[in-house]
Amino acid sequence: MRLADRIAPALLVLMTLFVFILLYGPLMVPIVSSFFTVSHGAVDWSQPTTSAYVALAANEGVLNALWTTLVVGSGAVVCSVVLGTGIALYYTSPNAKGRGFLQFIIFLPFLMPPIITGLALLIFFRQVEFERSLVTIIIGHTVFVLALVYRTILTRLQSLSGSLVEASYDLGASRWQTFRLVLLPNLSSAMVGAAVLAFALSFDETMITLLVTGTQSTLPVRLWAMMRLGFTPDINALVALVLLFTTALCLIAVRFLMPKSAVAGSDED
Amino acid sequence: MSSRVADAGVEAPAAHPSPSRLVPWFAALAAYAVPIWFVLAPMALFLGYSFFSVDKGNIVFTPTVANYVRFFTDPVFLPIFWRTCLLCLAVAVLCVLFAFPVAYFLTTLRGRRRYVLLVLLLVPLLMSYVIKIYAVRSILGGNGMLNRALLATGLIDKPSMLFVFNLNAVLLTLTVLLIPFAVLPIFLSLERIPKALRHASADLGASNAQTFWRVTVPLSLPGTLSAMSFVFVLAIGDFLTPQMVGGQSGFTFGRIIYSQFGTAFNWPFGAALSVILAAVVIIAIRLGGRVESSRGRIQ
Repeated sequence: MRLADRIAPALLVLMTLFVFILLYGPLMVPIVSSFFTVSHGAVDWSQPTTSAYVALAANEGVLNALWTTLVVGSGAVVCSVVLGTGIALYYTSPNAKGRGFLQFIIFLPFLMPPIITGLALLIFFRQVEFERSLVTIIIGHTVFVLALVYRTILTRLQSLSGSLVEASYDLGASRWQTFRLVLLPNLSSAMVGAAVLAFALSFDETMITLLVTGTQSTLPVRLWAMMRLGFTPDINALVALVLLFTTALCLIAVRFLMPKSAVAGSDED
Repeated sequence: MSSRVADAGVEAPAAHPSPSRLVPWFAALAAYAVPIWFVLAPMALFLGYSFFSVDKGNIVFTPTVANYVRFFTDPVFLPIFWRTCLLCLAVAVLCVLFAFPVAYFLTTLRGRRRYVLLVLLLVPLLMSYVIKIYAVRSILGGNGMLNRALLATGLIDKPSMLFVFNLNAVLLTLTVLLIPFAVLPIFLSLERIPKALRHASADLGASNAQTFWRVTVPLSLPGTLSAMSFVFVLAIGDFLTPQMVGGQSGFTFGRIIYSQFGTAFNWPFGAALSVILAAVVIIAIRLGGRVESSRGRIQ
């Protein structure tokens, strides 16, 4: 039994290490190979090169897709943060009707597989004769990220002391002033965190986009199309850049959403 | 808290009685408009579509249950459906087997280190899904890293085709992709177990192993089950992974649904298959959440 007690922690470390290799290892392959040329299906390891990155900068399809992705992401972020904040405010307001139902609807696209959300929107757009375009992608992304944005803002809203709002009204502030001068400053970091998270999700969203897109393709959709054809150095270069960008986004989101409380809360253990 | 806001909210606009009565309605309209129009309406329409049919490329809007009958009677769809369910269940089990030790290891760390490691485990979640599939595929291929590593170690003498463009490849890829989703719920449930319980178990003479199996594991069961349902739901809805690494034989339910909207062009039938998928998802979420809520009642 003593021996087992000594082996168990070592096994845990090994298992954790193994999982980390599983999670990060595969990602290293395209990053590393993006710096080498491929000829006749074999990677030429002898001389590193940045030619793939140069080729990428001249690839108009990819640049267009990047632009589309940024437009869609920004659109989805603005829509989802405004809507999420509004709905969270409504949810906490005393006159709110059918809170549970409203929340259920918002969570549907998040709980259901993206293929269902995407197909439902596809049929819907066709039925109301709404041309598939950038707008439909933005709508798809907005309903997809809304649950997360809404939840993040609601959590912050509910953690605020009610006396803040009470004091604001007592001091003669109107509803709008209370919102702008009291609630908004308190919500801002949650809103920024939610916005970054929403952007990261939108940046990566593939399944809904594939279904509701018209002729435009976002970066993941473009990547998807490229990858089905096989491995090329410029895909690898693109993959490396996208990974760099999303990792940066993640770390920013973490900074805004997981500061003091999480780390402080862990110290009690 | 909300009741306090309530008093303040009602008092403020009291000077203008008529707009104040309209405000709640406007607020409700504003809050409900988008969710109803862009979520509920499409979903409802989708459900409706599953009862329509297709004739020569045109959709016939006469209600029929033919799509559902076809699913349950056709020799093709039901076996693929069960196979996909089984596959996703296997993915869920594998993910939990990998995630549990990691989550447990996290709880043995303290303070900042624990959260840094947790964040590192969660960062892959936000990384591009398509890229992760691509990355894993580059390892699994016939000429991929895994095969070359196995050849180099002499375990096999020619490239193994066991995990090249088939269901095994789908299984492995999905497992790698979804492990982080399993770590979080398990970690949260492990973290919630009061330390006193484990101390009490030790005081009563249990060995570490006994404490682990008879205290920690049962108490972490809700988290483990919700992790499983989480992974299952994500796996069963995925049609990209099977398409990318599944090859000809790796046909899954998600892929069939997707093909109804592409090559097969039978939207109503695709809608019916999706409704069945939604039903499975709801059952999985219910099963995963049930233990959580029943435990909540006990406490």
